[in-house]
Amino acid sequence: MSPRLIPALLLVSTLFAVSIVNADPTLLPHLDTYRDQGVGQASAWRGEELWYASYDDRGCTSCHGANPADIGKHVKTGKSIEPMALSVNPGRYQSAKKIEKWFLRNCKWTFGRECSLQEKADILTWLTSQ
Amino acid sequence: MNSKTTMAAGYVLMATILVFSFYGLGQSLASGGYESDNHDLDHEYHEENEHNGRPLAFSIDPVYLDECGSCHMAYPAMLLPAKSWSKIMAGLEDHFGESAELDAQTRQQIEDYLVLESERVSYRKLFRNLGDAAPLRITELPYFVHEHDEIPARLVADNDRVKSLSQCNACHRGAERGQFDEDDVVIPGFGRWDD
Repeated sequence: MSPRLIPALLLVSTLFAVSIVNADPTLLPHLDTYRDQGVGQASAWRGEELWYASYDDRGCTSCHGANPADIGKHVKTGKSIEPMALSVNPGRYQSAKKIEKWFLRNCKWTFGRECSLQEKADILTWLTSQ
Repeated sequence: MNSKTTMAAGYVLMATILVFSFYGLGQSLASGGYESDNHDLDHEYHEENEHNGRPLAFSIDPVYLDECGSCHMAYPAMLLPAKSWSKIMAGLEDHFGESAELDAQTRQQIEDYLVLESERVSYRKLFRNLGDAAPLRITELPYFVHEHDEIPARLVADNDRVKSLSQCNACHRGAERGQFDEDDVVIPGFGRWDD
């Protein structure tokens, strides 16, 4: 390997590392509050399972669509819903109050009950990694 | 009669015709230019409130717009009586089959706005034959039912771009600003509506 390539590779790998850190959902302060309340390691994989799960024909995807990076559509009113994926909608998860408001409403509609802290942490981890 | 007199008479005649046509135009503009009693909700609602010495401007609360308008059109408060709004805001846990729960402070703030705004600008004709009822749905107002009873299902329920009469703004392009003038109705996939 040419020695001239080494600085270039270093730069690329540093940029890659930085991008991973930036995408790390554990940096989201709201996830820390779940951890403070006793939630174990959040799992994007479990969050994804919940995202695509269907209960009595209801699921997250009923309104948000299958791809969280796409614009959704309210199943009843047809109103468009901004994408849930953090990568395409970076302003989405700024307010803890707003996050909790929507979890409360939408978990009740989708699962007929409130979500557990673990489920919320998992879903949030999945969505912020998208 | 010489040609000068003929020309002068012609001028007088033309001027008279012009004056009367302008007068007629002015009259027709002043009367709104139409007779129909259901033609312009917005127009009559303004007149009614002028008589009451109330402010005319349509106002929308930003908190209401943000909280309620994220799932559906933020229905102008004037479309329901104040006590309907209070009932709706007291039952957000089951809001037409969905949870629309809010924290206590925001809920109260929105209810206060809706009640005040409804009392301020309520369009009374909308509440004709309503009596003391406080329906939860605008589509249940007798006046609303009467106004929409000639529209065939294929244009609303069976129309994928409308689906329901609850979607005011699918056809009333000024709905979110409280404007329901029939002239402004465009039914998606069908065009202007004129009955």
